[in-house]
Order: sequence, then C-alpha cells, then structure tokens
Amino acid sequence: MVAIMWIILFLVSLPSFGQKTENFYNVDQEIRIEGKIQNIVMEPRYKDKSPFLIVTLEEKDTKKLYTVEISPAGFFDQDFHKGEHLAVTGSLTSSGEMENNIIAREVQSRGETFILRDKHGFPTWRGGKGLMGRKGKRKGKRF
Amino acid sequence: MRKYGFLILILLAVQTTLLADSFSLSFSQNMTNNLFQNRFAERDQLSNLSFYMDKNFSRLSLFAEGKYSYLFENSNLAYYIQDAGLDYIFPVDEKSAFYFSAAGRGMFYRSEYSDFNYFSANFFAAFKSYLNQTSILKSNYSMDYKNYRDSVFDFISHSVMVSFDKYFQSKTTLKGEVDWGYKYFSSPYIYDEVLPVETNPSSMGGKGKGNAHGSNPNVYLIESQSEGQGIQVFSLSGLIAQGLGSKIGLRLTGMKQWVLSGQNPFFFIEEFYMVENPTYDRFSWEGHQLGSQLALLLPWNIQLKLGYTVSQKEFPGIESLDLEENLLGITRKDKRKQIDVRAEKNFPRFSVFASYFYIHNSSNDIYFDWSGHFFAVGIEWNIPLGGK
Repeated sequence: MVAIMWIILFLVSLPSFGQKTENFYNVDQEIRIEGKIQNIVMEPRYKDKSPFLIVTLEEKDTKKLYTVEISPAGFFDQDFHKGEHLAVTGSLTSSGEMENNIIAREVQSRGETFILRDKHGFPTWRGGKGLMGRKGKRKGKRF
Repeated sequence: MRKYGFLILILLAVQTTLLADSFSLSFSQNMTNNLFQNRFAERDQLSNLSFYMDKNFSRLSLFAEGKYSYLFENSNLAYYIQDAGLDYIFPVDEKSAFYFSAAGRGMFYRSEYSDFNYFSANFFAAFKSYLNQTSILKSNYSMDYKNYRDSVFDFISHSVMVSFDKYFQSKTTLKGEVDWGYKYFSSPYIYDEVLPVETNPSSMGGKGKGNAHGSNPNVYLIESQSEGQGIQVFSLSGLIAQGLGSKIGLRLTGMKQWVLSGQNPFFFIEEFYMVENPTYDRFSWEGHQLGSQLALLLPWNIQLKLGYTVSQKEFPGIESLDLEENLLGITRKDKRKQIDVRAEKNFPRFSVFASYFYIHNSSNDIYFDWSGHFFAVGIEWNIPLGGK
C-alpha cells in the first residue's frame, strides 16, 4: 500500500519537469549590512513556494530598516531572536511595497556563517531537512 | 517488504535526479589511528563520496541522498547508503509552523559486515512557534523502523522532544529541553552458546587478537528472551549561548539521561569511526554529557569551531569483561574527553573544511580503554539546477 502511494506520488510529479521559476536575485544589487533583528515572521513570498523566514533588520549605523528573506527551511533551521546581531550579504530588491528588501545570500551570526545562495543567487538550502540532520556540514563522526 | 523498499528507493532516486532543484556533491578524506575505537588501535583511511538533490513542489519537497564510503585497510567494511523521501512545511500563522518528513534508507555493506545491511523508514513531525520575539517553543516526534538482514537488530523506536528558549538583551540565550524515547527490539534471542567467530583480520577490531569484541555481527551475543524487549530513556538538556557580535559565539551545553526501563539486549556495545554499529545509539546508555564550543569568524571569512566535551556513560545490561573475556560482575561505565577543531571556508560555488578530533575514553572494561586521533578534509560542491 505504501509502495503504491509513493509510486503515485512519483507519477503525479512528472508534469512539472522543466518548469522555470522567476529570477529575483540581482547580483549587481548585492550589498552587505550589519544590524540588530527587530522582527521575525514567516510569510509567503513566491507563488507555489513555501513561506520564507523573514527578518526585519535595523542597520547598525543608519538605523534604516531592511526586510531580509532568509529561506523557506530557515524557519526550522535557524533560531533567531529579536535583538540578535546579524551580518547579511544579499541582493537589494526594493520595488513597490517591498522597499529595502534583501534576498539573503549569506548570513553571519554568533560566529557562524550560513550560506543560503551561491554567488549567482541560486538557492543552496535543502528543503526543511536540517531538522533530520541531513542538512548542513557533516562533522564526519557518528557519536 | 525489502523488495518494495528497494523499488521505492530506486524510483525516488531516479525521480529526484530528473527534476532536481538543487544538487550537491561532496568528498571527504578521513584518517584515524583507531578505526574500531578500542585498546587495539588500528589505523585506516576512509574516502567518502556523496551526493544530495532535491525538488520542491510548493510546500512539498522530494529529496535523495547517497553516500559511498571506502576503507583502505578494511575494505570489507565499505558501504553505500541511499536515502530518499519527502518533506512538507505547513504554516499555522506567521509565528508558527509544522514540519513533516517521511524517508526511507537502504544501507549496504560488503561481505562480512552484510548482516548489518538494513532498510529503514523514518517519520518525523515538528512544530515551532515564536511565543514572542525572544522566545521559541519547539517540539517534535520521530519514529524509526529498521529491518536488518540479521533480524536480531530489528527495532522500532519513538522519540518526543520539547524545548523552550529565551533570548536576553545581554545577548545570552538560555534553552531547556526534555526528551523521551522508547526503543523496541522486535526479535532479540539467546544463543545457547557462544558462536564461533570467523576471525578475519581485515575486518576485526584489534586484528583478531584473541578477543571476542569485533565488527563481526556474530559476536554480538544477545542475552534476552525470544520475545521483544524495550528500552525507555528520558533526558534533560540545557544550553547557555553567548553571542559577541556576529563573529564570535560561545555555548555551553549539559545533558543528563536516565534509562527508565529495560536494558541493552546485547553482550557488548561498540562504536566505530564513521561506520554505523547497531549496538550503539542514544538508547544504549545513561549518564551525563557536558560540552563547550567557541565559534569564530576569522579573516578571509574562515569559520573556526573549537570544542571540548566530557561525558560519563553507563550501559545498562552490559557487563564489563577482562581481556580474557571473563565477566567482571560490574556494569560497563565509560568516561570520555573529546577535543575537536573544525575550520571551514566557503567559496562562491563550493566549500572546504578540515577537522580534527582527539578522544580519550576510559572504561571499566579494559578493552574500551582507548584514545584516538581523527582527521578529515573535505569539499562540497553545489550545482544549481533550479531558478533563483
């Protein structure tokens, strides 16, 4: 029974092969900011995609507020809190209602670097599987 | 069951390859002077080659991951692991969400170790909620089922975890966690007498130096009744993390675990370096563990982590032996100290790392009085296949 369900899942997913997604990340608009987290929410950003972890960051020097898109899986992977210090590198995509929006490529916090996209802006996160230890760097030792 | 399991894994692997949004390859070279982690230290090198890919469909994603591990001196321990599954994120509101995953795994060893081959199924459900902007509540449930070629290791386990953390303006995070778990061995049984061990120097810890301990499954004697046997554990954990800007992080962790009921059904328990052993997991011990870690971001964006961990573990149901294999009438108890260092550098398309562990393990079973050095270097290469 379980095998049949998985096979059905395999078949129904085939029609989406070759689908293109929109390109949002602009490498020419890449900036780096540092600041304190002011707000954390999870909200939908793209059609047919999981909701993103969204962090509102107050820039250290200018006190300007930026909205930072982390990743869909980031909600479960990262335990950010209001008041924590973050350094974010990403693409500034201000347009319409989304003023000062940054699509994060790299986030630094508490001495750790989280790579979310490659230098061209392609995502490198892996679903939500950080929860099961499938995501992230392997230490190479099972204790 | 196994035939269907294998079919499912192949289908999912092919499926995910065709449709992948992300694909990554990684290679690591690992060296140790004590592969089997016992007093008869044996050197070996392991090469690991693995891939990962996934495809997202709205909130659902399919994933597949494979890993081949080759051992230079103990090639009979070489193995391949194939994982495949799906996961799903279900948001409740902008502060809370559920996460579900279902996955299957096939583990395939070569030659003598093939009794440890298994198929497994895992179901995982998690919930996370921001109670407010500085407090997070998390909980999860996990079910694991493993079906080994040698059925004495077959089990199903259930685990439940609840944690709560609070961030303070001093940049300090406090976290508390409660875990409960139950593991049920479905068919352990008694061997009437010690089975003769087919000693193969190439696959035995200590190179067959006259001790029953080793990697051959036949030497893990079961001392239980013919029906199933369960172990129930409960643990409390705490964490204090201190951030110093974005470049420095310090954390202290502590954990205390109790076995509430049951005991290990095995004659002895072993851990191997990077090779899974079915006798050892979180259910096999009670005791405590204390750890510290310093994370630093160095110039050129190099990430460095330094850690020190001490633990004291007792293995209920496991009696210590002397080197002549005489029972000592005491429960095995280990004290362990571990130092670890890891450096990582991320480049635009790939990342590299180097790590080193030193472990000193003292035990009242002298066979497990050991120390070891463990080196690893590796590279992970991400290949984008989907859109930005």
